[in-house]
Amino acid sequence: MAFISSGYNPAKPMEDRITDIGPRHYAEFYPPVIKKNKGKWLYHEIIEPGIVVHVAESGDELFAVRVGGCRLMSVSHIREIMEIADKYCDGYVRWTTRNNVEFMTDSKDKCMALKADLLGRKQPGGCYKFPIGGTGASITNIVHTQGWIHCHTPATDASGTVKATMDVMFDQWESMKLPAKLRISMACCLNMCGAVHCSDIAILGYHRKPPLVDHEYLDKMCEIPLAIAACPTAAIKPTKVEFGGKQLKSVSVKEERCMFCGNCYTMCPSMPLADTEGDGIVLMAGGKISNRIDAPKFSKVVVAFIPNEMPRWQTMTATIKRMVDAYSADARKYERLGHWAERIGWERFFEKCELEFTHHLIDDFRDPAYYTWRQTTNFKFSKTG
Amino acid sequence: MDEEATKTLIVETLKKKKGKSKFYLKDFYKMVPDEKPRAVKNLVNQMVQEETLEYWSSGSTTLIGLKGVGKQAAADGED
Amino acid sequence: MVEFKHKTPLIDQLETGPWTSFVSDIKREHESRMENPKGIDYQFNQECCDDLLGVLELSYDHGRTHWKHGGIVGVFGYGGGVIGRYCDQPEMFPGVAHFHTMRVNQPMGHYYKTDYLEQLMDLWERRGSGLTNMHGATGDIIFLGTSTPQLEEVFYELTHNINQDLGGSGSNLRTPSDCMGQSMCEYACYDTQEFCYNMTMEYQDELHRPAFPYKFKFKFDGCPNCCVAAIARSDLSFIGTWRDDIRIDQKAVKAYVGGELKPNAGAHAGRDWGAFDIQKEVIGLCPTECMSWDGSKLEINTPECTRCMHCINVMPRALRVGLDTGCSVLAGAKAPILDGAQMGTLIVPFIKVEEPYDEIKEKVVEPIWDWWMEEGKNRERLGELIKRQGMQKLLEVTNFKAVPQMIKEPRSNPYVFWKEDEVPGGWKRDINEFRKHHQR
Repeated sequence: MAFISSGYNPAKPMEDRITDIGPRHYAEFYPPVIKKNKGKWLYHEIIEPGIVVHVAESGDELFAVRVGGCRLMSVSHIREIMEIADKYCDGYVRWTTRNNVEFMTDSKDKCMALKADLLGRKQPGGCYKFPIGGTGASITNIVHTQGWIHCHTPATDASGTVKATMDVMFDQWESMKLPAKLRISMACCLNMCGAVHCSDIAILGYHRKPPLVDHEYLDKMCEIPLAIAACPTAAIKPTKVEFGGKQLKSVSVKEERCMFCGNCYTMCPSMPLADTEGDGIVLMAGGKISNRIDAPKFSKVVVAFIPNEMPRWQTMTATIKRMVDAYSADARKYERLGHWAERIGWERFFEKCELEFTHHLIDDFRDPAYYTWRQTTNFKFSKTG
Repeated sequence: MDEEATKTLIVETLKKKKGKSKFYLKDFYKMVPDEKPRAVKNLVNQMVQEETLEYWSSGSTTLIGLKGVGKQAAADGED
Repeated sequence: MVEFKHKTPLIDQLETGPWTSFVSDIKREHESRMENPKGIDYQFNQECCDDLLGVLELSYDHGRTHWKHGGIVGVFGYGGGVIGRYCDQPEMFPGVAHFHTMRVNQPMGHYYKTDYLEQLMDLWERRGSGLTNMHGATGDIIFLGTSTPQLEEVFYELTHNINQDLGGSGSNLRTPSDCMGQSMCEYACYDTQEFCYNMTMEYQDELHRPAFPYKFKFKFDGCPNCCVAAIARSDLSFIGTWRDDIRIDQKAVKAYVGGELKPNAGAHAGRDWGAFDIQKEVIGLCPTECMSWDGSKLEINTPECTRCMHCINVMPRALRVGLDTGCSVLAGAKAPILDGAQMGTLIVPFIKVEEPYDEIKEKVVEPIWDWWMEEGKNRERLGELIKRQGMQKLLEVTNFKAVPQMIKEPRSNPYVFWKEDEVPGGWKRDINEFRKHHQR
């Protein structure tokens, strides 16, 4: 391949440079029906799973078909989305905040033709290219992070755990039979680029071993003060080590202080963290972001560790399914998973979901921990003891 | 202090630091204590435009140092 | 048949099942790049998708990542928008040895037209891996994987040919994001797209060049349902609300009660929950008990309503948000690291959202930034600074009046740090005067 210049001149980076222009203006991309009716929508209704009609004061209707997308999307796949948008939607399309794609049409007939077309498109292994669903009291698409596709500190894969989970929960994606919506989110390490901390169920990658220290190379590749400053718990100290008969500058890690965040590895490639046995999955549950009925809630850790089981993470998906099934069978209409757990009590939650309670689930991290312990004699006995 | 003198002060201060080539924006505030944070921020960003300084990003935070100085460039194979 | 260099038996198992497969999709892109029907002169490794699958298979084989962070790469003069990435097995996977990410500022509401998407795709197919994230967690379009020399070329084409800028990363203002708002949703209490766009443009310098002790996020939710999760993850969240009556269509209420209208906009249609029971499902679940239904008329005692959205969500054709709309501003939300997760704290119960938003910029955003820039420690989010220095300090720097809406409950300790000027006579006292009345 021959290098083709865009016009950029590396010798004079400021020449002809355009900066600070921001994104394109959103109004360029509004379909005409939205331009006309923006701010004047009257109501919406889910006419079947994955299809929502929006009705405006003017009487105009907009039918949106929601399809699941992999967050990781190829140019070829997006071109296929464009082809569909051109065919049915005059070239307009939008993505949702949860990696779904919405095709918008102005008539029910077009919408139904579109639906049939979308469901007929399959990948070579039989997967839907454009699964339809994710509306109402369902499990919608899982928002997630990069994982082993692109991140340097993940404790698990993101796209793979999501694919495995959505396959197992697919029935809940394309139906609306849960007591309320159920949002699953995935982040591949505790830094939580995915902000999963307020989800009904959160899948979280977690490391359990402190970083390795590559003493021989550390001082050549890293600036020691930066590695030290990177540690949020001040567990890293400068040290001198004997290596090959020479005194080398390096660092030592106070291992019991390590919270396994990988920030040192970000600053210093001589402190890798990943480990086959050490790394795996934490499951959290009971969070939400909506203010509906009560305040937003954080998710709570309900399973402290599940090993990585590639490629299908069967223990993890079975545990998630058990939680969803128990919730679905027992919760009242409108109760989110967290409402249900609080109503029946967390001690009952563990029993109903057949989850083992271990000491790891009792908070011992800094001040907020105390507020999660029980300061009353009011509790329920577990059937198992 | 005039702008040129401040820039020189920043460069000289950075050159004196041993074992560490990258600094948080707040560290620059301390080098020029008489200036408001926003003024220092603007000056530092201008010095990047002038190719005296360069950014280093952890993805979540940004560090700033003298252009080309430090071990990361070699470690990344970008020197 | 396009060949694949790497055998990938583990990840191949993710090519079955109903959910769409990212593995099949990456393979598709590899095939497209190798077949190259359009005769594209690829500026980034043609076999990168195959090598990416190879790296992933290796990670699936032993459960460890093969990526290293790189901090130095970027486009000239910008502190954000590019994340450096290198493979730790470059000889095995030369196509992804350098695999940097670019964040492209998404259009508000994630609305697209295909001609614009085509420009983006043509660019990224030619100068990058042909793989994207639609979208990253913050909201950006993510261009996944290219080499260092291509970064400036991509930026040049973006800005010159597509009139499009990068997003934020590092200690910058992060790319602001919003819910679909009034464009499609009748619950939206203000124009999230316009406000988000305006703030993005107003603060371009902060977005592209490091200005702060750490990241800073704005998010814009049109109503308290919070679809974009502003309340959980943005340093300043702007959540639509209203202060007058919920608009009631009594005829439609009766239609819900009579079963002519589907409750919950059809959201619960997949299970037989029995006939709709307004008493149990709406009146009984209202958290403030401010509603009543006498069999023919629904009444809402507006001053007692906290606008939780439940009744509106259940009966959207009968109930609509009020007309005197604006937003609540909450500050300090963040994900857990380091001191635990924080939800946003209410700092402005209600403010009108009106162009050009000067009141919000001058009275809320900028005083808070000045305080955080001055007092925030390195890598301390706004929420942590508020915790460390106290809500009182926040009120002081913003000149906000303390109101009971800001708290769940008053303090349960009496340890008020009174200031000298709050106590009549001040703290300077004369011991000799005191001793005239009190023996030693």
